[in-house]
Amino acid sequence: MPMSNLVDVGLSHYLALSAALFAIGMLGVLMRRNVIVMMMSIELMLNAVNLTFVAFSRFRDNMDGQAMVFFVMTVAAAEAAVGLALAVTIFKRFREVNIRYFEHLKG
Amino acid sequence: MTLTAQDLLFYILGGLSLASALGVLLMTNPIYSALCLALTMVSLAGLYASMQAWFVAGVQLIVYAGAVMVLFVMVLMLFDLKSEVKAFSRGAVAGFMKLVAVGLMTGAFLAAIYNSADTLLGTSLAANVDGTASTKALAQMLFGKYVFAFEAMGVLLLIIAIGAVALSRIEGGTHADE
Amino acid sequence: MPQIQLGLGVDSTETIINVIKMFALFLLMVQLVPLLVWVERRGSAFIQNRYGPNRVGPLGLLQLLADAVKFLFKEEFRPKKGVAFMYYFAPVMALLPGALSFASIPLSVPIVLKGENWGPYNFVLQGYDLGIGIVFILGISSLGVYSLLMAGWGSSNKYSLMGALRASAQAISYELALSLSLVGILMVYGTFSFTEIVAQQQGPLTFNFMGTQQVWNWLPNWGIFFQPLGALLFFAATFAEANRLPFDLPEAEGELVAGFHTEYAGFKLLMFYIGEYGHMLVASCLLATFYFGGYNIPGVTPAEVTAFFAGFVGEGNLSQILTAVTYHVSLLLRVLLFLWIFIHVRWTLPRFRYDQLMDLGWKTMLPWALFNACATAVILWLFQK
Repeated sequence: MPMSNLVDVGLSHYLALSAALFAIGMLGVLMRRNVIVMMMSIELMLNAVNLTFVAFSRFRDNMDGQAMVFFVMTVAAAEAAVGLALAVTIFKRFREVNIRYFEHLKG
Repeated sequence: MTLTAQDLLFYILGGLSLASALGVLLMTNPIYSALCLALTMVSLAGLYASMQAWFVAGVQLIVYAGAVMVLFVMVLMLFDLKSEVKAFSRGAVAGFMKLVAVGLMTGAFLAAIYNSADTLLGTSLAANVDGTASTKALAQMLFGKYVFAFEAMGVLLLIIAIGAVALSRIEGGTHADE
Repeated sequence: MPQIQLGLGVDSTETIINVIKMFALFLLMVQLVPLLVWVERRGSAFIQNRYGPNRVGPLGLLQLLADAVKFLFKEEFRPKKGVAFMYYFAPVMALLPGALSFASIPLSVPIVLKGENWGPYNFVLQGYDLGIGIVFILGISSLGVYSLLMAGWGSSNKYSLMGALRASAQAISYELALSLSLVGILMVYGTFSFTEIVAQQQGPLTFNFMGTQQVWNWLPNWGIFFQPLGALLFFAATFAEANRLPFDLPEAEGELVAGFHTEYAGFKLLMFYIGEYGHMLVASCLLATFYFGGYNIPGVTPAEVTAFFAGFVGEGNLSQILTAVTYHVSLLLRVLLFLWIFIHVRWTLPRFRYDQLMDLGWKTMLPWALFNACATAVILWLFQK
């Protein structure tokens, strides 16, 4: 890749960073077995999406991106709250948060 | 060719956020993962500030890094888990397929970005505004065009608060049988 | 070799001046700690009808120097079961929010320095001027919770962990009341930046009332006359944020064996104290900046002060520097008064119980802060007409 692509950071650079963060978050959801770490990886994916929105808002001179970031942040915080409440309830009942104990539907 | 402060900021903060995101994925102790995620959020706030989105950066610090991640860390400290023995999913074949799948998806994203770089260049760059003016524009958008979604968020937060309190009142606990 | 342009100054002289200024501001914060500790120990002694430290140096002023030397020579240990990285990093993290916040508050009036060879420099006694001052400080102080959590966890001690969890729950509860009480000030002044808020508090009290503009010459244009309830809520919430009595249950002596810093001794404990006093210092500076006019001296303008000094030492840089020093001293007087009030309250009021504390934060201060924000909005809308 020619050196001139690295200076003059533009929209593509931010999108590439956001894609990388999204991929790492997705790997976290797929590969980690702790319920809370999976929720944290979902938060990471939502943050990557926020970065995309803000980058587009900046480089397209459009304020709608930042308004979307507001809503995504609110929904993410709300989902984290309920997810943690559920995790605490599960821990109170089973004393385990490793999902390999919860893999089978109780039949 | 000059490397401006904007470029340097992007590379430093972007590198920091990538490194701490990898820390979230790879650390076996979940509390370390949570602290790495907090560092990722702080570096993302720095990136937003470098893109002149001042209010979004502030809200990211206050809400995400200062409240949501503190909640995660507090819950993990209450659980008192030992360092995980089986932190990653078992099965070599399944693990390999997951890696390949995510790699293909990322490759597709990056190829799309690289190929469309010509149309993305030459876009209209927003003017550099200071914090108050950009916040005013954001507020006008939130209360004007998206006012319905804004009020719906309020209702959502109310429902979430009631739900969390209801979940925490379920009977039983780790010492309930004793 | 690509050139790198940073935003620190137009040429190397200004960059060097700015870097020295940032170091000087950090040292100012750190050097205020011995003075505050001395005031606390002597002041608490007089309140409790005993002498304080009065042997080391005149009036006991060198007591903290002796304490610092003692701390430096103490044995450096760590709990064996704890997490070493968190145990060592938590005191460092305690210093960061205070230092970063203190550097973004304007401490004196902007002056213009000029010489024959070097061009006009605008010199502000402020580390960096962010357009979003208030939001930055709120964000950074919400990051200060992590030092409590890391200290509690890294100590591997049940009492430390309980203290840390209580402290962080208290901190995030009172952050809400703090932020909402500042919304009133934001609405009145219409800007986030500190320099503009202080600049708008110059001169006599001016406001629109029923269409006419009233100017009351006998009161200065300070924020407290516009936001009395907001000032009271902000004042109470900063006590909780800095973990000071009456909200200091996380460090309760006699209940939790010193809470989250039980296992710390020596220099690491001193760093926690610097962090706590730094937090108090930032809270006092914010109180002075928002509600008490910042560095403004009621009754005079900066130009008059410069002309007064120019009468003694002539025009030029020295009169400008003396103007900056005068305004800085006026801010310091207010800040020291509020710090004395912090210390006085600590030794006067009893401590809140934990459930009383959380009740106060959520059921009393949050509704009043919301009411303050709504009332301010309604009054501003009515009186703009």
